[in-house]
Amino acid sequence: MNMKKVLSALLVSAMAMSLTACGGSGGSDSAADASSSAASADGTTTITIWSPTDKEAVEAWWTEKLAEWNEAHPEIQVSREAIDRSDSYAYENKITTAVTSSDLPDIFYVDGPTISYYAANGIIVPMDDYFPQDELSDFVDSTVAQCTYDGKLYAISATESSVALYYNKDYLTECGVDVADIESRTLDNPLTWSELEEIAKKCTTDNYVGTHIIMDHGEGLPYALEPMFISNGKDFVSADGSEAEGYINSKECVETAEYLANLIANGYANIDPIQDEFLNGACATMLGGSWDVSILEASADFDWGVTYYPVSDTTKAAVSPCGDWSAAISKDCKNVDAAGQFLQWLINSENVATYAAAIAKPATRNSSYENAAMAEYADGPRALFVEQLQNTAVPRPRTPSYSVLSTKYAEAMTNIFSEAASSHTVDAAYIQSELDAVAAAFKEDYDMYYAN
Amino acid sequence: MSKTSSLTDRKRNERTAAYIFTVPAMFLLFAFLVVPILYTVYYSLFQYQIVRPDNITFIGLKNYLKLFTDENFWLALRNTVYFTVLVVPFQCVLALALAMLVSSRFRGVAIFRTMYFSPQLTSMVVISILWTVLYNSNPNTGLINSFLTSLGLEPINFLTNSKTAMNSIIFMSGWQGAGYQMMIFLAGLQGIPRDQYEAASVDGANKVQQFLYITLPGLKGTIKYVVMITMIQAMKLFTQPYVMTQGGPKNSTRTLVYYIYTQGFQQGNFGYACAVAAVFFVIVVIMSLSMKKLIAETN
Amino acid sequence: MTKSMKTQHFLTKFLFYAGNIIIGIIFVSPLIWMISASLKPEAAIFANMNSITTFIPVQASLDNFKEVFSRLDMLQVFKNTFVYIALILVLDLLLNSICGYALAKFDFKGKGMMLNFIVALMVMPMEAIMLPLYIEMSQLGWVNTLAALVIPFVAKCFSIYMFRQFFCDIPDELLEAAALDGAGPVRTFFTVVMPISKTVYATVFILDFVAHWNDFMWPFLVMTGESKRTIQLAIQVFFGTQPIHYSAIMAALVVSAVPMLIMFIFMQKYYIEGIASSGIKG
Repeated sequence: MNMKKVLSALLVSAMAMSLTACGGSGGSDSAADASSSAASADGTTTITIWSPTDKEAVEAWWTEKLAEWNEAHPEIQVSREAIDRSDSYAYENKITTAVTSSDLPDIFYVDGPTISYYAANGIIVPMDDYFPQDELSDFVDSTVAQCTYDGKLYAISATESSVALYYNKDYLTECGVDVADIESRTLDNPLTWSELEEIAKKCTTDNYVGTHIIMDHGEGLPYALEPMFISNGKDFVSADGSEAEGYINSKECVETAEYLANLIANGYANIDPIQDEFLNGACATMLGGSWDVSILEASADFDWGVTYYPVSDTTKAAVSPCGDWSAAISKDCKNVDAAGQFLQWLINSENVATYAAAIAKPATRNSSYENAAMAEYADGPRALFVEQLQNTAVPRPRTPSYSVLSTKYAEAMTNIFSEAASSHTVDAAYIQSELDAVAAAFKEDYDMYYAN
Repeated sequence: MSKTSSLTDRKRNERTAAYIFTVPAMFLLFAFLVVPILYTVYYSLFQYQIVRPDNITFIGLKNYLKLFTDENFWLALRNTVYFTVLVVPFQCVLALALAMLVSSRFRGVAIFRTMYFSPQLTSMVVISILWTVLYNSNPNTGLINSFLTSLGLEPINFLTNSKTAMNSIIFMSGWQGAGYQMMIFLAGLQGIPRDQYEAASVDGANKVQQFLYITLPGLKGTIKYVVMITMIQAMKLFTQPYVMTQGGPKNSTRTLVYYIYTQGFQQGNFGYACAVAAVFFVIVVIMSLSMKKLIAETN
Repeated sequence: MTKSMKTQHFLTKFLFYAGNIIIGIIFVSPLIWMISASLKPEAAIFANMNSITTFIPVQASLDNFKEVFSRLDMLQVFKNTFVYIALILVLDLLLNSICGYALAKFDFKGKGMMLNFIVALMVMPMEAIMLPLYIEMSQLGWVNTLAALVIPFVAKCFSIYMFRQFFCDIPDELLEAAALDGAGPVRTFFTVVMPISKTVYATVFILDFVAHWNDFMWPFLVMTGESKRTIQLAIQVFFGTQPIHYSAIMAALVVSAVPMLIMFIFMQKYYIEGIASSGIKG
């Protein structure tokens, strides 16, 4: 092939494309320039939302709802940009980057525990006026707690999430585990850690592991495991979010980490489990999320069940994970009132029900469960997750130093698990030193930016 | 017009042309590479929480002082050097071996060249995801460990053990990059006259002697160039630990660029991240310039 | 040929093919795995990792590709990606090659310094200057425009260096001959030098094409909006949607690799020569 022809053809096509691109993008450019609200001469306000891209049903829900709102409210026009959230911290990086240059949209979605980080740094503004107390009483306590910082409401969420213990009934029966006993458990007497360990031990063979712990090296670790620590008597940080020393590195927390590391050291759980380990029938039990229900319903070729999040043997205190993406109003929003009004409508009981149904997550509003769209939450595994949310859910620590706490904790647990997997033993002194490092990193960050 | 005056004319034309030719690229490099570097150095003098651009405090050289006592910084530097020192010879030797393997004129040799080159055509992110799966520590799910156990060996926790994680990344990176250097070596090999080998063969030199006394000296310039570009790539190591290990376990794969990224974005210490970046710039500038000098000496 | 020479020849040939096939398989197997996974249903991808069937889709189907194309407006995505890469490459090939040429063949004040400057900056990692560069883009008002995607990445130290290495090898006699014919340096470059330098253009073209094709973080930070997605942003749709379907991800990855593969096959000859020539003189 003639190189010159290739090149010139490419050049010509590039020029042609760029021309059409410039011509075509003129309109969308001006729309996007209004990344934060602008009131035009005729008094119309435009509100821009950033939220993570999601499955088709959710994208369709947004399109429908925004059309509905924009039609009814010509004076407040809302548009949404779907932001692709990759597995890592990309979405947070985009928000952070936009903050440095005041390029934030009016409303953006934030993951539950980062609310306090953004609130403490003035990135998002309170919205109590639009969600007064009597309105909030319809929401599950966990979501209200997660969205509140320093006594003010900074975000509002339509959906929640939870984690519980899935088990492969067929395989457990084969291993001689009393499945009927597991099925009979209630929120008053969930499986204890030692019972879980016993099951895992019975079920671990060359081809199976007894249980599955999330190993994403990131936010998944504090999300799925913090309730274990709380159940054993100590949270990661003090209630006011200012102190980690004596909490994350307390005797109780070291004990909890020891318990988890033991599962790895004994080979009851994999240090790097593959995606879909439970679905593929390679593990007997799994601490899995509420979102796993629909996947298993669709593709599992074995009989499975879900029971409550396991509790510490010493306290027997039932605690469960929670937290989901929530809408917040940014500091760059020029018309907070318009944004607040819109959110009031967006997160009303009916919209919450249809949104929760579309995204296949439990709703935050108790009244939404009366909606026909939420019918499948009445019983079965989904009802169990709702029961946990309404009774035992505890949000992740509300502290401005959350991102440091979370990354350092994930790092420490990864190290602890890695040590357990390679030495096949658990060294309490090593666990203590890793958790001490988390407490020290937390203190350094908190003292530098938030103390006084 | 005399010949001398046309020569000076030409020199003058050349000089004008030189400025026309270099100014656009130099201007862009200045605006979008040097300016951000200057910004970085500037911000390194401040205490700057990344989401508080409205509240930054000048602290002079404090970030730099902190850096000298920050063991994580030294560890990241050590990891970067370790990676570079091991991956460069591994990748270059592998590339040279591949080049010799495909330098013959047998039929189908182009197919093998393309095979060795193919990892270059996929992004490092994709390669890293694939290898994370291949390296899985469980012999039931990890292809490599399943192969090892079938040979009767113990499975290895490639990425989940601090002793093996960086070496696993080195192996994968060498595999991914060797095809490119192979092509350069291939050309270098073809530049060595055939008759040198024939003469040596007549003198009774065996293959090893031929390699040591003809091939290696003949490739001297090529080797230096290949080492330089491999080193430059190696110092920037980021994607592999970012995707595969998140810098762990036990910080064993945390490199300088990854440290800059986590300090700046995740920990929010933007001012400090800038100080680390500035030190990194100084290190790599010194390194590149001495490499260039080394190469210039050969020519 | 004597019998022993024949045997030896056969043996060499055998070793050549056996060795290359074994090593070749090691090099392409991850890519084969990716293609095979893209044809499998989700549950089958990680099901048989310990057997050879992991490389062979037993019940192959194109469902995953259907999902990719139904979820994304691929035409728009490819158009966005090609437009921005084409703009970068056109300017990249032009500006960096003339700069490299000047550094190779002209004598002028500041040349040595310029060359040192380019070598020194060759190693700057994008991750380290990303945020300051974003702040600069924002100050220029370029955020969310094509300018932010294109203009900062036109000039590249490595490209300039590659061009210079190549142009150094062009014999001075050729340029002098052109000068004697009355061509000025600019005309000499475009009519004499450029046409004989296809290989280096092809090399820089492919290297930079691959780099930008795979670029994720920068387009993600500066561009907002579905209509502006580049290929790597589009793929993230599948990474970010819970639950993660690796089947769709693998299909998307295969789709994203196709244009690069086509590019490589077309330009392979020039490319390989181009890489090769960059290193001979060092």
